[in-house]
Amino acid sequence: MNDEVFLNERIKVVTVFGDGLNPCRPLRFRRINGREIDVTEIGLRHPRAQGKRMVHIFDVTDGSADYRIELDAERLTWRLTREADHEI
Amino acid sequence: MKYNIEKSLIMHVDLNSAFATIEQQSRPMLRGRSVAVINRRTENTSIVTASYEAKGAGVKVGMKFTEASRLAPGLVAVESDPAKYRYVYRKLMSILNSYSPNVVMKSIDEGIIDFHGVPINCSLIDIGYEIKKRLRDEVGCAMRCNVGIGPNRFLAKTAAGLHKPDGLDIIDASNLRSVYRTLKLTDLTGIASHMERRLNAVNIFTPIQFLDTGAVALQKVVFKSIVGHQWYERLRGYEVDNRTSDTKTVGRQYVLENRDLTLFEIAARLHHLCESVGHRLRAQNKIARGVYVHVRTIDRKYWHNCRMCQMPFYSDNTINTIAQQLFLDAPGRIQEIGIRCYELSNDDNPQVSLFNDVMAREQYLVSAIDGINRRFGDRTVHSADTLKTSEFMKQKTSFGSTRYL
Repeated sequence: MNDEVFLNERIKVVTVFGDGLNPCRPLRFRRINGREIDVTEIGLRHPRAQGKRMVHIFDVTDGSADYRIELDAERLTWRLTREADHEI
Repeated sequence: MKYNIEKSLIMHVDLNSAFATIEQQSRPMLRGRSVAVINRRTENTSIVTASYEAKGAGVKVGMKFTEASRLAPGLVAVESDPAKYRYVYRKLMSILNSYSPNVVMKSIDEGIIDFHGVPINCSLIDIGYEIKKRLRDEVGCAMRCNVGIGPNRFLAKTAAGLHKPDGLDIIDASNLRSVYRTLKLTDLTGIASHMERRLNAVNIFTPIQFLDTGAVALQKVVFKSIVGHQWYERLRGYEVDNRTSDTKTVGRQYVLENRDLTLFEIAARLHHLCESVGHRLRAQNKIARGVYVHVRTIDRKYWHNCRMCQMPFYSDNTINTIAQQLFLDAPGRIQEIGIRCYELSNDDNPQVSLFNDVMAREQYLVSAIDGINRRFGDRTVHSADTLKTSEFMKQKTSFGSTRYL
């Protein structure tokens, strides 16, 4: 079955805003337990409208687990909402 | 009639195992692993899409997850994520639209580009490879698509299915027979098991025999309608499928999450469906005059009830009132419920009604609620009895129509 864990955790994120197809690139984030995770790849970034508020969803990995982090474009806050390590 | 010798100017682009590939793209740890996309997190759920790794192990679309996980140990089930698929759909559509103004998206994962009248300074094969590259660059490195080129939509789609995944093929008058020789009847789009039996009954067992059957025989003996002549032309590369059709019905169905639900709980789920159907109806600027309610029982029996009204309607409240009245006669042991509105017309009827003030009040109320929901998100305002249903009844994306994307 699905091995995702659903979370709603406020996180601190080091992000680079540049150009190209992915102008916003999260590089590293710190969870509330102090653990730091280095983003090695952004799988997909897609926007999700919540009414007129836009949330940008980043599906990322650190090479050992997949994470979903969400940037609220109105409040400029980041949240960790999913984690999956795919261990059988 | 000879084969169509016109230059092949129709391109069919088809994402490979679309939902599963998008999941593998967005979650890199899933790449190279058996993945099944499901609509609900239960053991009895059916598989919506399987990745190529899972398909290699014998997993098929529509199979129960428990059965599939026996075939492919370690199969990872991922719940479908419509927002993500809609994003990739829009990306694909924007790529295809950059080559021609004549693009038709046939479903969430496939589109057709018509190059007739479009000045092109390179071959369609080069454009096909460029589309594949742009999909990888603009969406992600794990994205793959099949490209088929042909003189009509049918042959372009057939070509797109020849070498999966990530193939690019052309079918035209020069290789049409040789390609048909490699296919079975059911490999042709539009020929499923029922149609295959019908063709077998008149001694047509292969696509080549189908191709060699005359137009009159197909029309008078096999199909007994104009459809026979259309197949005769379609198989030879002539375009017969460039038609558009109007929306005839708007509906939604739901398989109950639990078989022990009370009638009150089922009625709340029906109300949720009515709100969803009303929203879709208004989003397409339509009004309806009929409501059709259906039920499928645990014993696989089908029950339905319908009503046509004299006055057209479009509000959630009216749809729900009619549906709940129809639903009173429904049998017990319900497994699936569904509702659809029919006899649709555009919401621009200038006819003056005797009940104008009543209708105007309803119109103001409905447009105010829709405005709030547009601004603050879907289902910000909804009826009180559907308060707990959103947890189970999530919007899912179907493969078929692109009307609601």
